[in-house]
Amino acid sequence: MTEAPALLELTGVSKRFGRITVADNLSLSFRAAEMVGIVGPNGAGKSTLFAMIAGDVTPDAGELRFDGRSVIRLDPAARCRMGIARTYQVPRPFENMTVFENLLVAAFRGGQVPRQSGFALAANLLEETGLSQDANRPAGRLGLLQRKRLELARGLATQPRVLLLDEVAGGLTDPEVAQLVAIVDQVRRRGVAVVWVEHVVHALTSAVSRLICLAGGRLIAEGTPDDVLANPEVKEVYLGADYGAEADWGKGVGD
Amino acid sequence: MNWVNAVIQGVMLGGLYALFACGLSLLFGVVRVVNLAHGDFAVLAAYLALVVITATHVPALLTFVIVAPLFALFGYGVQRLIIQKSLEVSPLTTLLVTFGLSVVIQNALLVFASADSHSFDVGRLTSASLRVTPELSIAYVSLLIFFTAVIVLVGLQLFLSNTAMGRSIRAAADDQEAAAIAGVNTRHVFGVAAAIAFATVALAGLALGTYSSFDPSAGPPRLIYAFEAVIIGGVGSLWGTLVGGIILGVAQTVGGQIDPSGGVLAGHLVFLAVLALRPQGLIRARLAA
Repeated sequence: MTEAPALLELTGVSKRFGRITVADNLSLSFRAAEMVGIVGPNGAGKSTLFAMIAGDVTPDAGELRFDGRSVIRLDPAARCRMGIARTYQVPRPFENMTVFENLLVAAFRGGQVPRQSGFALAANLLEETGLSQDANRPAGRLGLLQRKRLELARGLATQPRVLLLDEVAGGLTDPEVAQLVAIVDQVRRRGVAVVWVEHVVHALTSAVSRLICLAGGRLIAEGTPDDVLANPEVKEVYLGADYGAEADWGKGVGD
Repeated sequence: MNWVNAVIQGVMLGGLYALFACGLSLLFGVVRVVNLAHGDFAVLAAYLALVVITATHVPALLTFVIVAPLFALFGYGVQRLIIQKSLEVSPLTTLLVTFGLSVVIQNALLVFASADSHSFDVGRLTSASLRVTPELSIAYVSLLIFFTAVIVLVGLQLFLSNTAMGRSIRAAADDQEAAAIAGVNTRHVFGVAAAIAFATVALAGLALGTYSSFDPSAGPPRLIYAFEAVIIGGVGSLWGTLVGGIILGVAQTVGGQIDPSGGVLAGHLVFLAVLALRPQGLIRARLAA
């Protein structure tokens, strides 16, 4: 991996909720066209990390730079328009709007695309994410897989340069996950930095080029998926904090 | 024939109620704020129109060209500077704040404009009417108000379904946080929704002053009727608001036909019956679909 300048850079980011530390002097950076996975036990601070990058949560300390500019004071909508897109772990579509309209909002507002190309962009994304059949259905009537696809499509409609995926694989079968990974990988090839948080480790390891392990808001290990998975501290922290993850872990190592 | 007449007049009156209710419905459906000063803002708009008429001598019915845009700007300001701030404290705070606004507006009007009652001079139109049959005639003023209400509601529906801003408003109404991460500036969007609501409030105030009369305390009763229209029709449904207004209007005029003093009571009874039997309203919420 050549050292391209970082597209998104966190420096010394800290955040506490009462006595719980969810980010402890975290410094991370992400480059264009790379797919990075973030793993860690429950409560490791993965979702809060995304919330801080997207602007829903303000860090207590630290700096956040996107494309060389500090974005720490910008609200979520402004960050989205700059090119930071986030999906929610539990999809949150605009339930009373059609699937197509969901994408139009994201394209016109987040993506700031002009009128005609906004419609074209939304139509292409429907095709690309397998939502064409559901284009005119109210998003509230979709099943889980289609909701996950819509969540991804809506993120993509904002024309992101950084895409934050929060457990898109959760609740899906392996073939369904593979489909989503294929879509996301195409997006990455176009130069988008993809940061993917996942509790189910084996879904990640084949897709990402770099893996980050967080626990208790701290960076435990960072490197190639194999190196990180082999790291004894990672194993201990991960398994010790969340024994239920053992099955997933085993699969990840076996892949 | 008296009954037919009562129903027709009730439908027309329903137009006025719907005009009152649509701003309330929009603000509640999108910003989730119950604006207790809604009726008082309408009365304030009517007084503003009086000022405009006195200053410029434009015909009363044309004052909407000035009053509605001014009120739209005013509504944007009120939303951004007052309601949004209280909304970020807690949803209940908005009730206190809008109630406070109601008190302030009523008393300010009392101080500056006295308790005298006013109505707009619309010349020959005041008593002119469309004679349908020898026994049935509809005042042009009533027809004008009714069709204004229909045009406003249809226009609003088209705006919400077919424009980028309309879709942003619906997205923000649906899930404010998700709208923000889709790039929607929700504070601005709420401001625009309030601007539209206030423009319709201004029209309602003008309609009130043309149809009957207003004084500083005329707001709260209108707020009650607007609430009833919204709830009868179904919260968040613009068509429901029109239907609810019409049902309330017809209940009042038909009730008044049975007993001259029973009109308002009949309206309340129909409202209570709907609330008891179909609390979600007659029309399913469609503001966002």
